[in-house]
Amino acid sequence: MTDQLGALTTIFTEFYYWVTVVLMFLIHVGFCMYEVGASRYKHHQHTLMKNTMLIPLVTVTWFFFGWWIYWAFPTGPGIAPSIMNESTALITDESTFSAKWYLANTEYMAINLGDHISGVFWAAFLLFSWTAASIVSGAIIERITTFAFGILAIAIGSVFWTIDAAWGWHFDGWMLKILGYHDAYASGVIHAIAGGFALGVLCVLGPRIGKFSSSGEPRNIGPRNPWLVTVGLFLIYTGFWGFYAACNIPIFDLGPEYGMEGVTYWTATNIYVTPTTLSGITFNFLMSLSGGLLAGYWIAKGDPFWTYSSGLAGVICASAGNDLYHPIQAMIIGMIGVVIAYKLHYWVERKFKIDDAVGAVAVHGYAGFVGLVICGFVLNGYPSSGYSVGAMWDGTTYASINPLGQFLGAIIMFGVLGMLPGYIIAKVLHGMGKLRIPRDVEIAGLDYEMMESAKKDERAVSSATR
Amino acid sequence: MATVTNWIDHLSAEEVVGAVYPGAGSMETTLVIIGIVLWLGWHVLTAKSESDELERLSRRRHGANDHKSNITDW
Repeated sequence: MTDQLGALTTIFTEFYYWVTVVLMFLIHVGFCMYEVGASRYKHHQHTLMKNTMLIPLVTVTWFFFGWWIYWAFPTGPGIAPSIMNESTALITDESTFSAKWYLANTEYMAINLGDHISGVFWAAFLLFSWTAASIVSGAIIERITTFAFGILAIAIGSVFWTIDAAWGWHFDGWMLKILGYHDAYASGVIHAIAGGFALGVLCVLGPRIGKFSSSGEPRNIGPRNPWLVTVGLFLIYTGFWGFYAACNIPIFDLGPEYGMEGVTYWTATNIYVTPTTLSGITFNFLMSLSGGLLAGYWIAKGDPFWTYSSGLAGVICASAGNDLYHPIQAMIIGMIGVVIAYKLHYWVERKFKIDDAVGAVAVHGYAGFVGLVICGFVLNGYPSSGYSVGAMWDGTTYASINPLGQFLGAIIMFGVLGMLPGYIIAKVLHGMGKLRIPRDVEIAGLDYEMMESAKKDERAVSSATR
Repeated sequence: MATVTNWIDHLSAEEVVGAVYPGAGSMETTLVIIGIVLWLGWHVLTAKSESDELERLSRRRHGANDHKSNITDW
């Protein structure tokens, strides 16, 4: 950096992503509060630690291989050629955005005076990874082993979501080119996949003891601390602001990027490098949140747990197209997503005896899926990438956004990369006898020994007068 | 071990080398291997301690409300 303006742009971008990372940390704080609040007293501490330990597990694996996958897999491999090197192989050559630079042992995966972006961009994506794993965590509380959850968290957080991001959330991703896939703020690439993955695990894991009566009727196991749950959801909303900002590139000149001679056009862009504004997406974030809250309050008859969750589901449903929607479109889409997710949650619970303890499959999986499909209709005909305009690199063009492409994309996110791997890995863990805690432990409570060992001191303290 | 011993020399070089951490250019692969061993080792150690804990607690066959006797601060 030798000129001041270039240095300002670079360091502004570095600081921008750093701020989003700090904001997104609140998502995890919120998830931890939410899960502990939803769990019963005798499982509190293990519930918290399970979700906490995904932080280091996903972080180190994201460093070792998760980030590399994102840059290596946009072509499939073997499905569509890269616009950088015209090959359908893994992108590991000398290209500017090659995975070669993101191997864990390269000099860019460390403090490097010549690179101000890799670390903060890596961290922004890492926080998305934590979110994906944390979504799964909530659904399976009170009966999964910490070991099994660790493996599942790594699978969703550092492998499967990053494959879907390479395919559908990368400017060179094959899903943009062939399907016209569009998912600006991750209805599918984070939420549908994590919800689908959770559903796959739940199919194998089974319900909590007592969740269903002997005749198969579901019983409500409500949150034990609704205030912790609701404040947790408020924090998730807050972190979601940071998430939206992190999905953008804050300042970019699209003229030369699109190969438009003599044109200079500085703007913020979404992850696909197509123009949007931070201001515009703020309209849509708030309006879709409001749509979700309005619909949730109505359909859940004022139940706070579902109303708060519906605010989140509203944003999730509208997120695929929130870079382009009108705010009222975003609000209506948020409402539709909530109604479908809520109804589907109870139908699946009753029909298939699925015990999703916090409604994660509904709020993230179903709302994300529906959001992708709706986006295909509302944004039908919009370009999925700016690189289809004019000649860019090899002049390759991309499909436009369309309903069928979005529907197939939703299937890939929820089913192919979400539910299927979740089911298979859970089956393997189950086969090893490592998936579920023993029945007697579930009845006694995971925290029994911790509480018992502290009893003597606790008794002394609680009866102390001096 | 030090990769940089003089900042003025380092930054005034014709081409400034970006990697400034100790062992730059020679230690990275070793560090990654050590990191992976620590990560996998953690799984092995904690899986064993968790299995032991679950087995121990399972043998005691507590009832669903027994934990309440451990709550002392109402």
